[in-house]
Amino acid sequence: MNNKEFVIILCNGSSCLKNKSNDIKNELIKQLEKNNLLSKVEIHLSGCLGMCAKGPIMIINPGYVIYGNLKVENIETIVQRHLIKRELISEFIIKEDHLFNRFFRIFGDVNFFGRQMRITLRNCGIINPESIDDYLSVRGYEALAKVLNEMTPAQVIEEVKKSGLRGRGGGGFPTGKKWELTAKVEAKEKYVICNADEGDPGAFMDRSAIEGDPHTILEGMIIGGYAIGSQKGIIYIRAEYPLAIKRLEKAINDARAEGFLGNNILGSNFSFDIEIRLGAGAFVCGEETALIHSIEGYRGMPRPRPPYPAQSGLFEKPTLINNVETWANIPVIILEGADWFSSIGTEKSKGTKVFALAGNVVNTGLIEVPMGITLRQIIYEIGGGIPNNKKFKAVQTGGPSGGCLPEQYLDTPVDYESLIKAGSIMGSGGMIVMDENTCMVNIAKFFLEFTQNESCGKCTPCREGTKRMLEILERITEGKGEVGDIEKLERLGNMIKKASLCGLGQSAPNPVLSTIKNFREEYEEHIKDRKCRAGVCQRLLRYIITDKCIGCGLCKKVCPVKAITGEPKSIHKIDETKCIKCGLCYSKCKFSAIKKD
Amino acid sequence: MATPLEIIKQKRAQAVKRIIEKGYLSRFRIYVGMATCEIAAGSADVLTVFKEAIEKGILKDVYLSQKGCAGRCNLEPTIEIIEEGKIPVKYGKITPERAKEIINRHLLKGEIIKEWIIN
Amino acid sequence: MKDEKIKIYINDKPYIVKSGQTIMQAADSIGFHIPRLCYHPKLSVEGACRVCIVQVQGMNNYVASCAFPIQDGMKIYTNTPELRQARRDIVELLLDNHPEDCHTCERNSNCELQRLAMSMGIKKRHFVGEKKHYNRDLSSPSIVRDPDKCILCGRCVRICSEIQNVHTLTQAYRGFKTVVIPAFDEDLAESVCSTCGQCINVCPTAAFIEKSYTQELFEKLNDNSIVKVVQFAPSVRAAIGEAFGFEPGTQKENELVAALRKLGFDYVFDTQFGADLTIMEEASEFLERLQNKQKLPMITSCSSAWMKYLEQFHSDLIENISTCKSPMSMMGALIKTYFADKIKRDKKEILSVAVMCCTAKKYEAARPELMIDDVRGVDIVVTTREIAWMIKSAGIDFVNIKGKGFDNPLGLSSGGGAIFGVTGGVMEAAIRTAYELYTGETLIEIELEELRGFNNIREGKIMMEGKEIRVAVAHGLGNASKLLEIVRKEPDRYHFIEIMGCPGGCIGGGGQPYAGSSSIPLDENVLKKRAEALYGLDRNKTIRRCHENPNIQKLYKEFLGRPLSSLSHKLLHTHYSAKKPEGILPAEFKVR
Repeated sequence: MNNKEFVIILCNGSSCLKNKSNDIKNELIKQLEKNNLLSKVEIHLSGCLGMCAKGPIMIINPGYVIYGNLKVENIETIVQRHLIKRELISEFIIKEDHLFNRFFRIFGDVNFFGRQMRITLRNCGIINPESIDDYLSVRGYEALAKVLNEMTPAQVIEEVKKSGLRGRGGGGFPTGKKWELTAKVEAKEKYVICNADEGDPGAFMDRSAIEGDPHTILEGMIIGGYAIGSQKGIIYIRAEYPLAIKRLEKAINDARAEGFLGNNILGSNFSFDIEIRLGAGAFVCGEETALIHSIEGYRGMPRPRPPYPAQSGLFEKPTLINNVETWANIPVIILEGADWFSSIGTEKSKGTKVFALAGNVVNTGLIEVPMGITLRQIIYEIGGGIPNNKKFKAVQTGGPSGGCLPEQYLDTPVDYESLIKAGSIMGSGGMIVMDENTCMVNIAKFFLEFTQNESCGKCTPCREGTKRMLEILERITEGKGEVGDIEKLERLGNMIKKASLCGLGQSAPNPVLSTIKNFREEYEEHIKDRKCRAGVCQRLLRYIITDKCIGCGLCKKVCPVKAITGEPKSIHKIDETKCIKCGLCYSKCKFSAIKKD
Repeated sequence: MATPLEIIKQKRAQAVKRIIEKGYLSRFRIYVGMATCEIAAGSADVLTVFKEAIEKGILKDVYLSQKGCAGRCNLEPTIEIIEEGKIPVKYGKITPERAKEIINRHLLKGEIIKEWIIN
Repeated sequence: MKDEKIKIYINDKPYIVKSGQTIMQAADSIGFHIPRLCYHPKLSVEGACRVCIVQVQGMNNYVASCAFPIQDGMKIYTNTPELRQARRDIVELLLDNHPEDCHTCERNSNCELQRLAMSMGIKKRHFVGEKKHYNRDLSSPSIVRDPDKCILCGRCVRICSEIQNVHTLTQAYRGFKTVVIPAFDEDLAESVCSTCGQCINVCPTAAFIEKSYTQELFEKLNDNSIVKVVQFAPSVRAAIGEAFGFEPGTQKENELVAALRKLGFDYVFDTQFGADLTIMEEASEFLERLQNKQKLPMITSCSSAWMKYLEQFHSDLIENISTCKSPMSMMGALIKTYFADKIKRDKKEILSVAVMCCTAKKYEAARPELMIDDVRGVDIVVTTREIAWMIKSAGIDFVNIKGKGFDNPLGLSSGGGAIFGVTGGVMEAAIRTAYELYTGETLIEIELEELRGFNNIREGKIMMEGKEIRVAVAHGLGNASKLLEIVRKEPDRYHFIEIMGCPGGCIGGGGQPYAGSSSIPLDENVLKKRAEALYGLDRNKTIRRCHENPNIQKLYKEFLGRPLSSLSHKLLHTHYSAKKPEGILPAEFKVR
């Protein structure tokens, strides 16, 4: 782009594609070739830009000029007038002032960003998170003003319901319905809670959202408080996020000073305040009833539901809990309208989802994509594919409690139902890509180790069952697997899924069950052939001395268990039954005569 | 009495005014990523380089601000240099040394340093 | 709404049940006993063990029947093959992390886990692996904590906080390492544990048991150079029968006297004599406070768990506490003085043993304030459970034993002494005596119904020469602290308060026989029957007022002089002092 004069972004969302945006692309290339401009213009295909009603869309940078409702025959005009004569074509310009435009304006020409759709993270990376002025300048707190100005609580709830927003914490419960349930309960005191207890290993969606744009969360919560009739909000955040806490504190103080928190907000009758509660960092405290216990000062342990927090939550008062990402959607829904919001995504999953893309993928990072995008698009178009020419093996969604999906599921659209159907979950947004060098048994063990360590220990299936599953996986990876182990894993896993008290236990077996389902042959290899095809499981390696051996005897000397025998100057041998696979001989051999198998 | 919407419009106008007073309309706007991840990658030192350059008067007509994480983890620390009417420039993996070079070559001489650009 | 009837289906058969219940309650009401473990009707619903899971049509996951409410038309399955396997596997998982040393375990043949495992039909084991290991906590004089046997049902945690309001215990650490411990993993002895032993009562296994002194006692019983004296509490006779298969409520006073003699005791005395004496002192103390306008309300002090709890958490009310020792400790003092003189033996040559329904009495007996010169009033305390085991272990046929009477002079007691074992009983006995001491007239209506029963806090009034005396009774430490809150708010509301540390009073003490297979720990019906046994003893006595006990009168004439005399004060009264609630903060933690 550096030596290019223009960057042209063409919307490649499904709706625009239907409107023949492909033809437009082809025509554009034809026209550019004709005018010898190809070298001066860079073309980018973006994900859905949320302007579907006016598609196909073309954005020309510099200037961030948006042309809409384009037809193939308009392209010549654009090339002639905009690119050559450098004038704007007012009849094609559409006025679209979406909240996320600013982000796209700066980052839209980078594939990694352009394919995304930033709604909740709309301000992350473009405003100063410690400045309420910056937030106000991007229509901050306007949604709150609009709500207080002209909407009844019931109308706010109706709007959220209409938007089709579902809880982004993992469960996918319809947010508007949750609000309605909490609003319906009559009580003097009610609470609004923001669940910022992000605990998935490698996940940092909430932290980034708070650090990048704390006021959005506050605004969402204040609107939620208004809708359900609460005066008190609590943000439960883990103490390991000091910067996020600092920025939240500053945001809360600034919001108080500007009158967005406190009594009679913006001159209305509505009063609301927010305080921060720190968690000590327990994965299980992301579960809403455990979180409530933790705020109350008790050990973070879930309790059976019903009653749901909507009926009896914090201090036994009706409580509305949503997670960071869910709250961050609210101001957008209010300002852009439920109709616009629900135009994004799939039939049952509306809007966008934030993922922390990690693992064996070229571009790792935080992404926000419209629901319905396929895993393949995320991994290859945004993530840039698998590095080092390795083969894709699996993608794990939903954090430690999600499932591992192989190649044949790559075209699964990302929405709540499809992911469950495929054998995984949406979860709160972890997404780990694995290449061929990953051992699926080992991966399952890794995740199970995490959930076992983080189990609160309250219910038997999760506390004891995951431990036994872990033991079985450990012995499989150590080459001590037994026939029948896979069946035991399945038996325990299915029981734990259905019998555990909370979501942690109910989803803990997912990585194991999904890898058994999709990679059963790898398990069998480990057990029957004592072989790890990815070469990850140390104990399953075999060391063989080849005929390169000159019989120097060094390996024999270093072997700690005397597994190597051989006369000087003749080829040595390793006794398989004695070898402990420590690899010392392999690393010491000066003649590369020892081979790993 | 003013309605909430009227109040928010006023507040926004005041906020914009304050931002402009801080120099938003300068020729260059420089944003340095300052989330936990960016700071861990070394962005605080990068920010200091720009601050000092401004304090020492090397850099003029610039607006320097921190920002949250845009999400491009493996290229952090990232900075953006925005000049009205031009394509915004995004740099990745910026060290204090690179920051100094960006000051010299890009901000003072107008040269875009291709190798460090995110695309 | 509550009495509305709805239709549910259990295993495809329709039933009409009351709405507003959980699945478990509804199933219980029509004769389906869903297996369960962590559930206890007196405690909050934990939903932890997952043994009581059932299938509900339309739900993917199993639901815990203890927690899930029924709905009209709900189709519930309690016994499908899939569910049976899941439940079986859950119980196996519990066994896999349990020592399984049943044949040497204190709870052998009386263990809920054992019974459950049996009923699940667990034959083959599938998932055997590592077992947790923690050290046993032997620090407390009363209670032994054995985390290896704990199956984390959380009943102890709940009873300690919800019923007793002591909050000693909590689950700590995560995953497989989860363990129930006092705060900061302090020793029980250092913790705020009141030693009431309710954790033992509700524990389904032997993760909590009393500190046993049976071996020591067996050894001492064989020592012919000492005089072996034993006393036992009212509630012991009301419950010990249960340990030998008798119906709850069968009182076994004389049988126990006979068995104790057979065990090798030289003298068997009755703690009820001590109770009578306590009333003499306590009623006198109360009247003195009343007449001299000293600190009121006066609060009883016979329950040792209650006293430890008060010293730790409510020390601002120490002045309200009666200075009287408990009946056991009064007995101990008399055995080592009055009785020693009578048999002309040095007090050091007397072994004073108490059989108590209580684990806290083990702690009380060791309190330094209760020393008689340089010896303890009570040397060894064993619980009802321990003595039952000793009787069995010594081969004594308790079931067919011929009853014997107590020894004298410390064996004769009034009905007032008998009802000391049930909540409200101390107050009732005290009023019987105080009324007469104050008015000079005999109280005719001596059964004070408003003070009986198991309501949490009960109030009563009695007119004494035109003066209204207002009294209150609480049982269980949780109720006690609620009553104390009332006292703090309205200091003039009551004149006299009785508090017993355990639910139901001493009859529900932490040392009583375990619940059998057909009942549950702290079953209110069992408590009622034990209470009735004591009320029956009271009714069958000719002497029902403590001050009418001729041996008490003789004791004062021969030895003490009068109630509240200086000798009384020396032997029968004590003092209490504020104690820092240890275990709330670790020693090295500095509060800024």
